[in-house]
Amino acid sequence: MLGARLREAGWGYAFVAVPIVVFGLFFVYPFGYAMYISFFHWGILGKQAGASGTFNYHAVLHDPIFHIALKNIAEYTIGVVPLEMALGLSLALVINQKIHGRNFFRSAFYFPSIASSVAITTIMLYIFNSDGLFNHIIGSHTPWFQSAGTAIWSLVGLNAWTTSGTVMIYYLAGLQAISTDVYEAAALDNTGAWRTFWKITFPLLRPAHFFVLVVFGIGALKLFDQAFIVGGGSGGPNNATQTPVLYIYRDAFSNFDFGKAAAAGVVLFVIIFTLTLVQRMTVGRQEAA
Amino acid sequence: MTLQTSVAAAEPFIPGRARAAVARKAFFYVVIAVVAAVFFIPFLWTLATSFKTIPDSVNVHLIPHPWTSSAWRAIWTQYDFKLYIKNSLFLAVVVTGCNLVLSGLGGYAFARLKFPGRELLFLLVLGTLMVPDQLRLIPVFVMLTNWHLIGSFSGYILINLVTATNLFFMRQYFLTIPKDFEEAAKLDGAGPIKTFWKIMLPLALPAISALVILQFQGTWNDFFWPLILFGQGSPHLYTVQLGLAELNFTYSTLWPQICAGSVIAILPILVVFLAFQRYFISGVVSAGVKG
Amino acid sequence: MRKRLGVILGLLIAVVLLAATAQAGTRGSKVTTITLSGWSSGPDEDALLQQVVNNFNKSHPSIHVDYSVINGDYGTAMTARFAAHNPPDVFYVDSSVAGSWAQQGVLQPLNRYIKSSKYDTSKFFPSLLGAFTVGKTIYGFPKDWSPLAMEINKGMLGQAGGKAPTNWASLLKVAQTMAAKNVTNGGKPICLSPDWARMLAFVYQAGGSLSNLTSPAAAAAVNFYVGLMNKGLATTPDKLGSGWCGEALGKGKAAIIFEGNWVLPYMKSTYPNVQYGVFPMIKDKTGGNLAFTVSYSLAKDSKNKPAAWTLLSWLTGKQGMTQWVSKGLALPSRSDVKAIGGRQAFLSAAPYAHGWGFGNPHFSAAYTVMNNDLTAVIAGSKSVAAMLSDVASALKG
Repeated sequence: MLGARLREAGWGYAFVAVPIVVFGLFFVYPFGYAMYISFFHWGILGKQAGASGTFNYHAVLHDPIFHIALKNIAEYTIGVVPLEMALGLSLALVINQKIHGRNFFRSAFYFPSIASSVAITTIMLYIFNSDGLFNHIIGSHTPWFQSAGTAIWSLVGLNAWTTSGTVMIYYLAGLQAISTDVYEAAALDNTGAWRTFWKITFPLLRPAHFFVLVVFGIGALKLFDQAFIVGGGSGGPNNATQTPVLYIYRDAFSNFDFGKAAAAGVVLFVIIFTLTLVQRMTVGRQEAA
Repeated sequence: MTLQTSVAAAEPFIPGRARAAVARKAFFYVVIAVVAAVFFIPFLWTLATSFKTIPDSVNVHLIPHPWTSSAWRAIWTQYDFKLYIKNSLFLAVVVTGCNLVLSGLGGYAFARLKFPGRELLFLLVLGTLMVPDQLRLIPVFVMLTNWHLIGSFSGYILINLVTATNLFFMRQYFLTIPKDFEEAAKLDGAGPIKTFWKIMLPLALPAISALVILQFQGTWNDFFWPLILFGQGSPHLYTVQLGLAELNFTYSTLWPQICAGSVIAILPILVVFLAFQRYFISGVVSAGVKG
Repeated sequence: MRKRLGVILGLLIAVVLLAATAQAGTRGSKVTTITLSGWSSGPDEDALLQQVVNNFNKSHPSIHVDYSVINGDYGTAMTARFAAHNPPDVFYVDSSVAGSWAQQGVLQPLNRYIKSSKYDTSKFFPSLLGAFTVGKTIYGFPKDWSPLAMEINKGMLGQAGGKAPTNWASLLKVAQTMAAKNVTNGGKPICLSPDWARMLAFVYQAGGSLSNLTSPAAAAAVNFYVGLMNKGLATTPDKLGSGWCGEALGKGKAAIIFEGNWVLPYMKSTYPNVQYGVFPMIKDKTGGNLAFTVSYSLAKDSKNKPAAWTLLSWLTGKQGMTQWVSKGLALPSRSDVKAIGGRQAFLSAAPYAHGWGFGNPHFSAAYTVMNNDLTAVIAGSKSVAAMLSDVASALKG
């Protein structure tokens, strides 16, 4: 039996070898590099004069702008992830059924995800302008994406909408794995549609939930692109669109303070890692081998 | 059989019930039609704007005023979008294919093969998701420059051979497949490769479809890494996204041209989507159990 | 399906191997190839620069210049290339980052090339050259520039008396008349960007300067700028449904804006029917303006410095620059090159214009603080004094 176990382990390593090498080279090494330089004064061309130490971490953790960035990203993530999951799951359930024009609806729901973000962001900025379509309808004059108070929530709405198609695809795949016997049994027991969903489908989607929660949760915590476009790269107005990754980016590519950027990166990693561990131990717990 | 119809089949026939069911169904269709329309509007606007003149493109109405196809002509002649599409197609196909193979094998191993350190390695995989691109840009770029993999597609393909997202996704999917299949295969004396190739892959068709659709789209829409790795000084390597960026300036964005380019950019993804989404068929797994 | 996958797998491996072995072509050894890089400001500009480069290639047969545009995040792409010691030979440097790039050691000091080629730098406008000089070391030559001017909608100005304002007092008066007559039909008379890259000009007009932000002059300027908004005579572009003040002018939501030479091609292509006039920037105690300029610089890690120097000095020399400014897309940074007609409103600002960036290595970091604080001041959640002291300390680094 030991021979069989060894052989299985051998195959296991063989199957994951290439991915592990790729990840090692292009993620683990750069992160190790970041951890290293976070203790130095580091410029574009490498190490600069000055002693080593934890001063970069001190600077980052005591920077009020970094605190604002953390607060913003927390609000954003708590807002966007449940919304994305709910939207994506709803859409998947809808188009999983035999409805007329199924292909059309599948394509329509998937559209915002595949349209280039230039087009989508432009249209959204246009519609939510201070004198745009949305304000015409509700009778307001607020520039939604440009006001300090509403910028983050406008981003939540925008991104939840554009990623719903992608989440839908993942849930759609997950739904296919649920055997139809389960539904037939529920029907024979005269279980209502809602009950069937809540007590049977939803729990059976647990691996999909864990996946979406982790991947899109981490994605939310790493928000950069739209915050950059909407805030003009400065994190404005008044730091309303400041995010941790934007903070790292500016420290690295505007201020050329690579040591401090690396420190911020390590701090962010620790935060995300802890949160993911918590998710693993709650939602992802039931993982058979 | 779907959820709705199987439930309806079990109920006895009552006339009032039937009318209510029809009303509910009509309402349902109205709602999703409205939702679909809302989701479709960005594309309609993009299409409409591609036929506008620049001064008209700043207006909101969906009908161009006047109509002109000058943006489309400009795209095709002034900018080499034929070449850009070819490049994007090449990269998307290669990267998607590599991801398919590597995350399929890797995902299966993490889900079903036992080897020491498996959980730790999986945490490492998840860990890669937590490193933002901006943080790893410089070390990766310097590495690739030293290996002379800049200025060609090689560096880009290498760093995108497999992603943690795809690996993680395939693992989750394989976890949901009942063990019966592998037990049966083991009894028949099949090794891991045979089991994977003949049993797990066909059962994972929905996951494969999802992966193909999403990775194709991801590579197709990728702007940042192509710009950094081969988008400087090599216009013959430009992808569609780099081509679109040529139309974006600080103070004079050429909206009609960008919209025309965006429409061209969307079509291949749409084709891939329509081709692979028909593999989202329920019952593939259960059919296997019964048979 | 599975057999197809197997074939695809085999093809993939072949393709990946092929791609990995693709090599770029090499030129004959008699000709030195150098690379020139910059960002893109518009299709006309790109075409013009390509033409200028072609002319250089023709007149300098031993040098071949490969000109490439970086169509995205220029700063990030360049930083990566610097870090990998593989930069373009000659490239654009914006004055706002010149100080920090010089401090990071990625720019080649030009002094010894100037000396050995006996290059006459006196023809460059001093404030422009100064933006790329740290101490006595010159890191680049300005290729063109633009100050701010005042653009006013002709029709709306006519309704308010027809005379363009020349100082703060008359600006106030004209704006008040415009507001009373509601010339912008729901907009505001003046569009002001919540941006120090505009407001700083007013600080200089009041007699203040960037090196002395805690002076009463600086506070007076900020109070005037923000005060116009509080009085209802001005507002920021986002409240006018626009991305920047140029768009507000085009949409007819603002009558008076303060923008540079770049607004001319924009209005011509996007809002060709709006009649507007370009007037010199207003003054207060003195003239005050900002010079936005970009240099050609040489990379410290360039492997072809002599050839690169030839290109750089030619492009910013009389011949190259004359060709570059011939279409009016940019203003010459040399006194011996004539601008095309109709640019007097901009050129008259030359004596009062301060190079944006000031050679300060902490400038681009401080700029983010500047604007975030300014939006807070405009919203009323921060005091002017707090912002000025924040900015002053950010500039010190």
